[in-house]
Amino acid sequence: MAKFDSETAAKIHRHLHSHLPSDPALRVKALESLVVERGLVSSETIDAWVEAYSEQIGPMRGAQVVARSWLDAEFKARLLENAGDAIKDFGFEGNATGHLIAVENTDSTHNIVVCTLCSCYPFSILGMSPSWYKSAQYRARAVREPRAVLAEFGVELDDNIAVNVWDSTAEVRYIVISQRPTGTDDLDEPALAALVTRNSMIGTDRILSAGET
Amino acid sequence: MDGIHDLGGKQGFGPIPIGDNEGFHHDWEERMWAMARCGILPPGTAIDQFRHGLERMVPTDYLSFAYFNKWCANYFMFYLNAGTFTNDEVLNGHCDTPSDPAKTLSLDQVVAAQRALVTDFSEPTDAQPRFAIGDTVTTKRRITANHTRLPGYARNAAGTVITHHGAHLLADFGAEGIHQAQHLYTVSFMATELWGEDANPIDTVTLELWESYLV
Repeated sequence: MAKFDSETAAKIHRHLHSHLPSDPALRVKALESLVVERGLVSSETIDAWVEAYSEQIGPMRGAQVVARSWLDAEFKARLLENAGDAIKDFGFEGNATGHLIAVENTDSTHNIVVCTLCSCYPFSILGMSPSWYKSAQYRARAVREPRAVLAEFGVELDDNIAVNVWDSTAEVRYIVISQRPTGTDDLDEPALAALVTRNSMIGTDRILSAGET
Repeated sequence: MDGIHDLGGKQGFGPIPIGDNEGFHHDWEERMWAMARCGILPPGTAIDQFRHGLERMVPTDYLSFAYFNKWCANYFMFYLNAGTFTNDEVLNGHCDTPSDPAKTLSLDQVVAAQRALVTDFSEPTDAQPRFAIGDTVTTKRRITANHTRLPGYARNAAGTVITHHGAHLLADFGAEGIHQAQHLYTVSFMATELWGEDANPIDTVTLELWESYLV
Protein backbone atom coordinates (compact mmCIF):
# COMPACT_ATOMS: atom_id res chain seq x y z
CA MET A 1 0.00 0.00 0.00
CA ALA A 2 0.91 3.66 -0.05
CA LYS A 3 3.22 4.64 2.74
CA PHE A 4 1.19 5.39 5.84
CA ASP A 5 2.79 7.70 8.33
CA SER A 6 1.29 8.84 11.61
CA GLU A 7 2.25 12.49 11.28
CA THR A 8 1.07 12.68 7.68
CA ALA A 9 -2.26 11.18 8.75
CA ALA A 10 -2.64 13.89 11.39
CA LYS A 11 -1.73 16.59 8.87
CA ILE A 12 -4.33 15.34 6.35
CA HIS A 13 -6.96 15.19 9.09
CA ARG A 14 -6.23 18.81 9.99
CA HIS A 15 -6.63 19.74 6.33
CA LEU A 16 -9.96 17.89 6.14
CA HIS A 17 -11.10 19.56 9.36
CA SER A 18 -10.69 22.97 7.71
CA HIS A 19 -12.04 22.19 4.25
CA LEU A 20 -14.79 19.58 4.23
CA PRO A 21 -18.47 20.53 4.63
CA SER A 22 -19.66 20.03 8.19
CA ASP A 23 -22.84 18.12 7.33
CA PRO A 24 -21.96 14.40 7.61
CA ALA A 25 -24.71 13.43 5.14
CA LEU A 26 -23.01 15.56 2.49
CA ARG A 27 -19.58 14.20 3.36
CA VAL A 28 -20.67 10.57 3.07
CA LYS A 29 -22.55 11.31 -0.14
CA ALA A 30 -19.36 12.82 -1.56
CA LEU A 31 -17.39 9.77 -0.49
CA GLU A 32 -19.89 7.40 -2.08
CA SER A 33 -19.89 9.39 -5.33
CA LEU A 34 -16.12 9.24 -5.44
CA VAL A 35 -15.74 5.52 -4.81
CA VAL A 36 -18.54 4.67 -7.25
CA GLU A 37 -17.15 6.92 -9.99
CA ARG A 38 -13.69 5.47 -9.45
CA GLY A 39 -15.14 2.01 -9.97
CA LEU A 40 -14.18 0.74 -6.51
CA VAL A 41 -17.72 -0.40 -5.69
CA SER A 42 -21.22 0.00 -7.11
CA SER A 43 -24.08 1.77 -5.33
CA GLU A 44 -26.15 -1.40 -5.70
CA THR A 45 -23.50 -3.40 -3.82
CA ILE A 46 -23.63 -0.79 -1.04
CA ASP A 47 -27.44 -1.22 -1.04
CA ALA A 48 -26.97 -4.98 -0.66
CA TRP A 49 -24.70 -4.54 2.38
CA VAL A 50 -27.22 -2.16 3.96
CA GLU A 51 -29.90 -4.79 3.43
CA ALA A 52 -27.71 -7.60 4.78
CA TYR A 53 -27.14 -5.74 8.04
CA SER A 54 -30.77 -4.69 8.40
CA GLU A 55 -32.30 -8.08 7.58
CA GLN A 56 -29.89 -10.94 8.19
CA ILE A 57 -26.91 -9.99 10.33
CA GLY A 58 -28.07 -8.86 13.76
CA PRO A 59 -28.59 -9.78 17.40
CA MET A 60 -31.09 -12.49 16.49
CA ARG A 61 -28.00 -14.54 15.60
CA GLY A 62 -26.41 -14.19 19.02
CA ALA A 63 -29.78 -14.85 20.65
CA GLN A 64 -30.03 -18.16 18.83
CA VAL A 65 -26.54 -19.10 20.01
CA VAL A 66 -27.45 -18.29 23.63
CA ALA A 67 -30.72 -20.23 23.38
CA ARG A 68 -28.94 -23.31 22.08
CA SER A 69 -26.41 -23.10 24.92
CA TRP A 70 -29.34 -23.33 27.35
CA LEU A 71 -30.77 -26.40 25.63
CA ASP A 72 -27.69 -28.35 24.61
CA ALA A 73 -24.98 -28.97 27.22
CA GLU A 74 -22.54 -30.35 24.64
CA PHE A 75 -22.93 -27.21 22.51
CA LYS A 76 -22.55 -25.00 25.57
CA ALA A 77 -19.29 -26.73 26.50
CA ARG A 78 -17.94 -26.11 22.99
CA LEU A 79 -19.17 -22.50 23.07
CA LEU A 80 -17.34 -21.80 26.32
CA GLU A 81 -14.24 -23.59 25.01
CA ASN A 82 -14.07 -21.78 21.64
CA ALA A 83 -17.03 -19.60 20.71
CA GLY A 84 -15.53 -18.64 17.36
CA ASP A 85 -15.65 -22.29 16.29
CA ALA A 86 -18.98 -23.09 17.92
CA ILE A 87 -20.91 -20.40 16.02
CA LYS A 88 -19.85 -22.06 12.76
CA ASP A 89 -22.61 -24.59 13.53
CA PHE A 90 -24.98 -21.80 12.44
CA GLY A 91 -22.79 -20.27 9.74
CA PHE A 92 -22.63 -17.13 11.89
CA GLU A 93 -18.87 -16.61 11.67
CA GLY A 94 -17.68 -13.49 9.90
CA ASN A 95 -16.67 -9.94 10.68
CA ALA A 96 -14.91 -9.74 14.07
CA THR A 97 -15.63 -13.25 15.30
CA GLY A 98 -12.28 -14.85 14.49
CA HIS A 99 -11.36 -14.85 18.19
CA LEU A 100 -14.69 -14.94 19.98
CA ILE A 101 -15.02 -15.74 23.68
CA ALA A 102 -18.31 -16.52 25.44
CA VAL A 103 -18.43 -15.50 29.10
CA GLU A 104 -21.17 -16.87 31.31
CA ASN A 105 -23.11 -15.08 34.01
CA THR A 106 -23.75 -17.02 37.22
CA ASP A 107 -25.52 -16.36 40.51
CA SER A 108 -22.28 -14.80 41.79
CA THR A 109 -20.81 -13.12 38.68
CA HIS A 110 -21.91 -10.62 36.07
CA ASN A 111 -20.03 -9.89 32.84
CA ILE A 112 -20.06 -6.65 30.86
CA VAL A 113 -18.18 -5.84 27.64
CA VAL A 114 -16.70 -2.55 26.47
CA CYS A 115 -14.04 -1.31 24.07
CA THR A 116 -12.48 1.77 25.66
CA LEU A 117 -10.01 2.49 22.83
CA CYS A 118 -12.40 2.31 19.87
CA SER A 119 -15.69 0.43 19.67
CA CYS A 120 -14.81 -3.19 18.87
CA TYR A 121 -17.87 -5.43 18.66
CA PRO A 122 -18.66 -8.95 17.34
CA PHE A 123 -20.61 -7.66 14.35
CA SER A 124 -21.25 -10.99 12.67
CA ILE A 125 -23.33 -12.30 15.58
CA LEU A 126 -24.72 -9.07 17.08
CA GLY A 127 -25.02 -6.80 14.05
CA MET A 128 -24.32 -3.10 14.37
CA SER A 129 -23.62 -1.98 17.92
CA PRO A 130 -26.10 0.36 19.63
CA SER A 131 -25.14 4.03 19.67
CA TRP A 132 -24.68 4.06 23.45
CA TYR A 133 -22.02 1.33 23.13
CA LYS A 134 -19.99 3.64 20.88
CA SER A 135 -20.58 6.70 23.10
CA ALA A 136 -17.75 8.41 24.98
CA GLN A 137 -19.83 8.08 28.16
CA TYR A 138 -19.97 4.29 27.98
CA ARG A 139 -16.35 3.87 26.87
CA ALA A 140 -15.12 6.12 29.67
CA ARG A 141 -17.27 4.84 32.51
CA ALA A 142 -17.83 1.10 31.99
CA VAL A 143 -14.35 0.18 33.22
CA ARG A 144 -14.28 2.60 36.14
CA GLU A 145 -17.77 2.48 37.58
CA PRO A 146 -19.53 -0.51 36.01
CA ARG A 147 -22.07 -0.76 38.82
CA ALA A 148 -23.19 2.83 38.30
CA VAL A 149 -23.39 2.19 34.55
CA LEU A 150 -25.40 -0.99 35.10
CA ALA A 151 -27.77 0.85 37.44
CA GLU A 152 -28.49 3.33 34.64
CA PHE A 153 -29.55 0.35 32.53
CA GLY A 154 -31.79 -0.82 35.37
CA VAL A 155 -29.45 -3.59 36.53
CA GLU A 156 -29.07 -3.36 40.31
CA LEU A 157 -26.45 -5.77 41.61
CA ASP A 158 -25.81 -6.89 45.17
CA ASP A 159 -22.30 -6.13 46.39
CA ASN A 160 -21.56 -9.86 46.61
CA ILE A 161 -22.11 -10.41 42.88
CA ALA A 162 -18.71 -9.84 41.20
CA VAL A 163 -18.64 -7.66 38.09
CA ASN A 164 -16.12 -8.68 35.45
CA VAL A 165 -15.55 -5.96 32.85
CA TRP A 166 -14.02 -7.15 29.56
CA ASP A 167 -12.23 -4.34 27.71
CA SER A 168 -11.57 -5.74 24.22
CA THR A 169 -8.18 -4.25 23.47
CA ALA A 170 -7.00 -6.75 20.81
CA GLU A 171 -8.86 -8.82 18.18
CA VAL A 172 -10.61 -10.93 20.81
CA ARG A 173 -14.36 -10.26 21.04
CA TYR A 174 -16.88 -11.23 23.70
CA ILE A 175 -20.48 -12.36 23.99
CA VAL A 176 -22.16 -12.63 27.40
CA ILE A 177 -24.27 -15.72 28.07
CA SER A 178 -27.06 -14.81 30.48
CA GLN A 179 -28.70 -17.25 32.85
CA ARG A 180 -31.75 -19.00 31.46
CA PRO A 181 -34.90 -17.43 32.89
CA THR A 182 -36.92 -19.60 35.24
CA GLY A 183 -40.26 -20.90 34.02
CA THR A 184 -39.01 -21.60 30.50
CA ASP A 185 -38.68 -25.39 30.69
CA ASP A 186 -41.25 -25.92 27.97
CA LEU A 187 -39.81 -23.49 25.45
CA ASP A 188 -38.00 -24.53 22.28
CA GLU A 189 -34.96 -22.81 20.76
CA PRO A 190 -36.80 -20.11 18.76
CA ALA A 191 -39.01 -19.26 21.75
CA LEU A 192 -35.99 -19.05 24.05
CA ALA A 193 -34.04 -16.96 21.53
CA ALA A 194 -36.90 -14.44 21.53
CA LEU A 195 -36.22 -13.85 25.24
CA VAL A 196 -32.53 -12.99 24.76
CA THR A 197 -32.00 -9.24 24.56
CA ARG A 198 -29.19 -7.61 22.62
CA ASN A 199 -28.11 -5.75 25.75
CA SER A 200 -27.87 -9.00 27.71
CA MET A 201 -25.25 -10.23 25.22
CA ILE A 202 -23.21 -7.06 25.88
CA GLY A 203 -23.84 -7.31 29.61
CA THR A 204 -26.02 -4.26 30.24
CA ASP A 205 -29.04 -6.47 30.93
CA ARG A 206 -29.05 -9.38 33.40
CA ILE A 207 -32.38 -10.87 34.40
CA LEU A 208 -34.20 -11.97 31.27
CA SER A 209 -37.96 -12.17 31.28
CA ALA A 210 -39.68 -15.52 30.74
CA GLY A 211 -42.03 -13.78 28.37
CA GLU A 212 -45.81 -13.79 28.19
CA THR A 213 -46.35 -17.38 29.33
CA MET B 1 0.51 7.84 21.71
CA ASP B 2 -1.67 9.13 24.50
CA GLY B 3 -4.49 10.42 22.33
CA ILE B 4 -8.01 11.61 22.97
CA HIS B 5 -9.33 8.16 21.95
CA ASP B 6 -8.03 6.60 25.19
CA LEU B 7 -11.28 7.20 27.06
CA GLY B 8 -11.26 4.40 29.65
CA GLY B 9 -11.69 5.84 33.14
CA LYS B 10 -11.96 9.48 32.04
CA GLN B 11 -14.40 11.34 34.25
CA GLY B 12 -17.02 13.98 33.65
CA PHE B 13 -18.97 12.47 30.73
CA GLY B 14 -22.34 12.14 32.43
CA PRO B 15 -25.12 9.59 31.91
CA ILE B 16 -24.94 6.86 29.27
CA PRO B 17 -27.38 7.65 26.43
CA ILE B 18 -29.17 4.36 27.15
CA GLY B 19 -32.20 5.26 25.04
CA ASP B 20 -29.96 5.55 22.00
CA ASN B 21 -30.43 1.90 21.18
CA GLU B 22 -30.25 1.86 17.41
CA GLY B 23 -27.08 1.11 15.51
CA PHE B 24 -27.95 3.69 12.86
CA HIS B 25 -29.99 6.90 12.97
CA HIS B 26 -29.55 8.09 9.41
CA ASP B 27 -29.19 6.57 5.96
CA TRP B 28 -25.71 8.05 5.62
CA GLU B 29 -24.57 6.06 8.67
CA GLU B 30 -25.79 2.80 7.14
CA ARG B 31 -24.15 3.66 3.85
CA MET B 32 -20.84 4.52 5.51
CA TRP B 33 -20.87 1.21 7.35
CA ALA B 34 -21.85 -0.63 4.16
CA MET B 35 -19.05 1.02 2.17
CA ALA B 36 -16.61 0.00 4.88
CA ARG B 37 -17.67 -3.65 4.38
CA CYS B 38 -16.60 -3.53 0.74
CA GLY B 39 -12.85 -3.67 1.22
CA ILE B 40 -12.23 -0.46 -0.72
CA LEU B 41 -9.53 1.19 1.39
CA PRO B 42 -6.17 1.44 -0.41
CA PRO B 43 -4.84 -2.13 -0.83
CA GLY B 44 -2.95 -3.42 2.19
CA THR B 45 -4.47 -1.03 4.72
CA ALA B 46 -4.30 -2.90 8.04
CA ILE B 47 -7.03 -2.69 10.67
CA ASP B 48 -4.58 -1.11 13.10
CA GLN B 49 -3.72 1.53 10.54
CA PHE B 50 -7.41 2.33 10.26
CA ARG B 51 -7.67 2.61 14.05
CA HIS B 52 -4.54 4.70 14.28
CA GLY B 53 -5.87 6.96 11.52
CA LEU B 54 -8.94 7.65 13.67
CA GLU B 55 -6.69 8.39 16.63
CA ARG B 56 -4.91 11.07 14.59
CA MET B 57 -8.11 13.03 13.92
CA VAL B 58 -8.31 16.57 15.26
CA PRO B 59 -9.11 15.86 18.93
CA THR B 60 -12.17 18.09 19.09
CA ASP B 61 -13.55 16.32 16.00
CA TYR B 62 -12.87 12.94 17.60
CA LEU B 63 -15.05 13.83 20.58
CA SER B 64 -17.79 15.68 18.73
CA PHE B 65 -18.26 13.79 15.44
CA ALA B 66 -20.87 11.05 15.14
CA TYR B 67 -19.20 7.64 14.99
CA PHE B 68 -19.59 7.07 11.25
CA ASN B 69 -18.68 10.66 10.47
CA LYS B 70 -15.28 9.83 11.96
CA TRP B 71 -15.05 6.85 9.66
CA CYS B 72 -15.87 9.07 6.69
CA ALA B 73 -13.08 11.49 7.64
CA ASN B 74 -10.71 8.54 7.98
CA TYR B 75 -11.61 7.21 4.53
CA PHE B 76 -10.88 10.60 3.00
CA MET B 77 -7.58 10.69 4.88
CA PHE B 78 -6.50 7.29 3.55
CA TYR B 79 -7.56 8.12 0.00
CA LEU B 80 -5.69 11.44 0.01
CA ASN B 81 -2.64 9.78 1.53
CA ALA B 82 -2.64 7.08 -1.15
CA GLY B 83 -3.45 9.48 -3.99
CA THR B 84 -6.65 7.56 -4.85
CA PHE B 85 -8.36 10.94 -5.15
CA THR B 86 -6.95 14.42 -5.48
CA ASN B 87 -7.68 17.21 -3.07
CA ASP B 88 -9.97 18.86 -5.60
CA GLU B 89 -11.88 15.63 -6.21
CA VAL B 90 -12.50 15.23 -2.47
CA LEU B 91 -13.67 18.83 -2.12
CA ASN B 92 -15.91 18.59 -5.23
CA GLY B 93 -17.25 15.12 -4.39
CA HIS B 94 -16.70 13.92 -7.97
CA CYS B 95 -13.91 12.30 -9.94
CA ASP B 96 -12.31 14.30 -12.71
CA THR B 97 -12.00 11.17 -14.86
CA PRO B 98 -14.56 8.48 -14.00
CA SER B 99 -13.55 4.81 -14.36
CA ASP B 100 -15.50 1.76 -15.50
CA PRO B 101 -18.25 0.92 -13.02
CA ALA B 102 -17.63 -1.85 -10.50
CA LYS B 103 -19.44 -5.18 -10.70
CA THR B 104 -22.56 -5.39 -8.50
CA LEU B 105 -22.89 -8.04 -5.81
CA SER B 106 -26.27 -9.49 -4.85
CA LEU B 107 -27.60 -9.79 -1.30
CA ASP B 108 -26.65 -13.47 -1.20
CA GLN B 109 -23.15 -12.63 -2.39
CA VAL B 110 -22.58 -9.99 0.27
CA VAL B 111 -23.94 -12.27 3.01
CA ALA B 112 -21.44 -14.90 1.84
CA ALA B 113 -18.70 -12.25 1.70
CA GLN B 114 -19.49 -11.20 5.27
CA ARG B 115 -19.07 -14.79 6.39
CA ALA B 116 -15.71 -14.93 4.64
CA LEU B 117 -14.51 -11.84 6.53
CA VAL B 118 -13.76 -14.01 9.57
CA THR B 119 -10.07 -13.38 10.19
CA ASP B 120 -7.48 -15.27 12.18
CA PHE B 121 -5.02 -12.80 13.72
CA SER B 122 -2.89 -15.50 15.29
CA GLU B 123 0.46 -16.45 13.78
CA PRO B 124 2.93 -19.19 14.56
CA THR B 125 6.01 -18.06 16.46
CA ASP B 126 9.24 -19.64 17.61
CA ALA B 127 9.44 -17.31 20.60
CA GLN B 128 8.76 -18.93 23.95
CA PRO B 129 6.04 -17.19 25.97
CA ARG B 130 7.45 -15.33 28.97
CA PHE B 131 4.31 -15.86 31.01
CA ALA B 132 1.89 -18.63 31.84
CA ILE B 133 -1.67 -18.77 33.10
CA GLY B 134 -1.74 -17.82 36.77
CA ASP B 135 1.35 -15.62 36.64
CA THR B 136 1.25 -12.19 38.20
CA VAL B 137 2.33 -9.58 35.66
CA THR B 138 2.85 -5.82 35.76
CA THR B 139 2.09 -3.49 32.86
CA LYS B 140 4.54 -0.91 31.64
CA ARG B 141 4.33 2.60 32.98
CA ARG B 142 5.28 4.30 29.75
CA ILE B 143 4.43 3.57 26.13
CA THR B 144 6.36 5.16 23.28
CA ALA B 145 4.75 3.51 20.24
CA ASN B 146 2.64 5.68 17.93
CA HIS B 147 -0.14 3.15 18.37
CA THR B 148 -0.73 1.00 21.43
CA ARG B 149 -3.55 -1.07 22.83
CA LEU B 150 -2.46 -0.63 26.43
CA PRO B 151 -4.89 2.00 27.73
CA GLY B 152 -3.63 4.68 30.09
CA TYR B 153 -5.79 3.46 32.95
CA ALA B 154 -4.11 0.03 32.97
CA ARG B 155 -0.47 1.14 33.06
CA ASN B 156 1.90 0.29 35.88
CA ALA B 157 -0.68 -2.08 37.30
CA ALA B 158 -0.41 -5.68 38.53
CA GLY B 159 -2.76 -8.35 37.22
CA THR B 160 -3.06 -12.08 36.66
CA VAL B 161 -2.75 -13.91 33.35
CA ILE B 162 -5.98 -15.87 32.81
CA THR B 163 -5.57 -16.84 29.13
CA HIS B 164 -2.66 -17.23 26.73
CA HIS B 165 -3.83 -16.82 23.13
CA GLY B 166 -0.57 -17.79 21.46
CA ALA B 167 0.95 -15.10 19.27
CA HIS B 168 -1.26 -12.50 17.56
CA LEU B 169 -0.27 -9.74 15.16
CA LEU B 170 1.01 -6.88 17.31
CA ALA B 171 -1.21 -3.81 16.88
CA ASP B 172 1.69 -1.40 17.48
CA PHE B 173 3.53 -2.84 14.49
CA GLY B 174 0.36 -3.24 12.40
CA ALA B 175 -0.16 0.52 12.56
CA GLU B 176 3.33 0.89 11.06
CA GLY B 177 2.58 -1.61 8.32
CA ILE B 178 4.73 -4.31 9.93
CA HIS B 179 3.28 -7.82 10.03
CA GLN B 180 4.71 -9.39 13.18
CA ALA B 181 3.13 -11.48 15.91
CA GLN B 182 3.79 -11.53 19.63
CA HIS B 183 2.36 -13.54 22.51
CA LEU B 184 -1.02 -12.22 23.60
CA TYR B 185 -2.53 -12.73 27.05
CA THR B 186 -5.80 -11.94 28.74
CA VAL B 187 -4.89 -10.27 32.01
CA SER B 188 -7.36 -9.75 34.84
CA PHE B 189 -6.91 -6.81 37.22
CA MET B 190 -8.69 -6.31 40.49
CA ALA B 191 -10.80 -3.16 40.17
CA THR B 192 -9.20 -1.86 43.37
CA GLU B 193 -5.75 -2.10 41.72
CA LEU B 194 -6.93 0.24 38.95
CA TRP B 195 -9.34 2.53 40.76
CA GLY B 196 -8.48 2.36 44.43
CA GLU B 197 -10.61 1.71 47.45
CA ASP B 198 -13.81 3.09 45.92
CA ALA B 199 -14.09 0.01 43.72
CA ASN B 200 -15.88 -3.11 44.86
CA PRO B 201 -13.13 -5.49 46.11
CA ILE B 202 -14.51 -8.49 44.20
CA ASP B 203 -14.81 -6.75 40.81
CA THR B 204 -12.29 -7.20 37.98
CA VAL B 205 -11.34 -5.50 34.71
CA THR B 206 -9.83 -7.72 32.06
CA LEU B 207 -7.81 -6.75 28.98
CA GLU B 208 -5.94 -8.43 26.13
CA LEU B 209 -2.29 -7.43 26.41
CA TRP B 210 0.69 -8.26 24.23
CA GLU B 211 3.89 -9.43 25.87
CA SER B 212 5.77 -6.19 25.18
CA TYR B 213 3.17 -4.32 27.28
CA LEU B 214 4.30 -6.27 30.33
CA VAL B 215 7.38 -5.52 32.44
